[in-house]
Amino acid sequence: MELLQDIFTLYVERADWFAELLAAHMGLALTAIGLAGVLGLLIGIGIAQYPRIAPPVMGVCNVLYTIPAISLLGILIPFSGVGNETAVIALTIYGIMPMVRNTYVGLTTLDPDILEAAEGMGSTRLQSLLRVKLPMAAGVILAGVRNMVVMTISVAGIASFVGAGGLGVAIYRGITIYNPAMTAAGSILIALLAILCDLALGALERYFKQKGT
Amino acid sequence: MEPIICFEHVFKSFGGQAVLQDFSLEIQSGTFLTVIGRSGCGKTTALKMVNGLTRADSGRVLVQGKDVAQADPVALRRRIGYVIQSVGLFPHMTVEKNVAYVPSIAGMDGWKGQARREKTAALLRQVGLDPALAGRFPSTLSGGQRQRVGIARALAAGPEILLMDEPFGAVDEITRAQLQEEMQRIHRESGITILFVTHDIGEALKLGTRVLVMDQGQVQQCDTPEELVRHPATAFVEALVEPQRRLKYYG
Repeated sequence: MELLQDIFTLYVERADWFAELLAAHMGLALTAIGLAGVLGLLIGIGIAQYPRIAPPVMGVCNVLYTIPAISLLGILIPFSGVGNETAVIALTIYGIMPMVRNTYVGLTTLDPDILEAAEGMGSTRLQSLLRVKLPMAAGVILAGVRNMVVMTISVAGIASFVGAGGLGVAIYRGITIYNPAMTAAGSILIALLAILCDLALGALERYFKQKGT
Repeated sequence: MEPIICFEHVFKSFGGQAVLQDFSLEIQSGTFLTVIGRSGCGKTTALKMVNGLTRADSGRVLVQGKDVAQADPVALRRRIGYVIQSVGLFPHMTVEKNVAYVPSIAGMDGWKGQARREKTAALLRQVGLDPALAGRFPSTLSGGQRQRVGIARALAAGPEILLMDEPFGAVDEITRAQLQEEMQRIHRESGITILFVTHDIGEALKLGTRVLVMDQGQVQQCDTPEELVRHPATAFVEALVEPQRRLKYYG
């Protein structure tokens, strides 16, 4: 109970600082989400249109995904130094995998009869993709976005280990000055942010699934 | 008169398996041609060669005098209506957007807003549907309604040729009889050329102004339904029409 009280006191006393960290955290996560979302979507569409290159691309994405977050940050430091840039690169690399996988799976598991109807009626490849395939795969792709967003928000918590900002700063400082309340205060905000985003995207996903299939 | 569709010595095989062997056929404009044969006899393959979804290994397929192999497939397909058994309606589009799909991708004039609503309503009425269904999604329709929407969608861009691949195979007996009558009426009213693949000889004889019987990738006989029943050209055709004949003469 004492810990809860300490956390609450911290939030009140250092509201400005936490607000700053929260904003920095969201900035960091959003940048990575945007990059991973666009890149992952484009790569996923690319390998769905050219299935021959799908296995190697998926293989590379899988390998990158299995590198532990903290060691990926370490590996990147010699190339991009310390700071936000390195954190964004690492988070983007992580986020690409769920986006590529879901986009690819979403686009390649569609009802072949519907695709044949689209082709047989004279759709160009681009029209088939934009008007039929992507809208029908939207539910699956959005599930990938949701997965990626939640993961990016939480993994962004360790970005402070390479000198980036965000709520990880509170966690890290709490650990170094032995203040468990500060560590918990930072963690709770990260968790809340992730849960809120998950709920919002979940609602959007249900809407698309209902419409799509 | 020049035939609207012409197959000239077409050969096609899939993985060593011959599907069409020296297949030749001329179809006059305005014909309602039903195509019947066993599964794997090449009837669907022949149908898909008309809109270029399948290419001939050798021989030529001419549509309105032009070789399909040399035509732009996208432009060709937009002029040919296409209906398949599973319908293939787009689940994320309303009935109206489904019906207006070809005019929309082809950028045809007069298919926006109110004009699109009116044209969709007219097409829905033509296939025996209530225009009030225009705003519904396909998942809320019955199987028969979906197939009607599929036909309306195929007719939307005003094609001169309509390809139908076992369109009524998945609907119940009563609905099928209704749909057959709608098709006869649409054919009568529009004068459109229809290629209609089926495996039901009763349906083939009822609908076709001409009936093509295929077996092992070759034409067994192509004639009017009366001629087919009265003078079957091969033993295969005779076996096929025998039950119908008995129904007619002794039934």
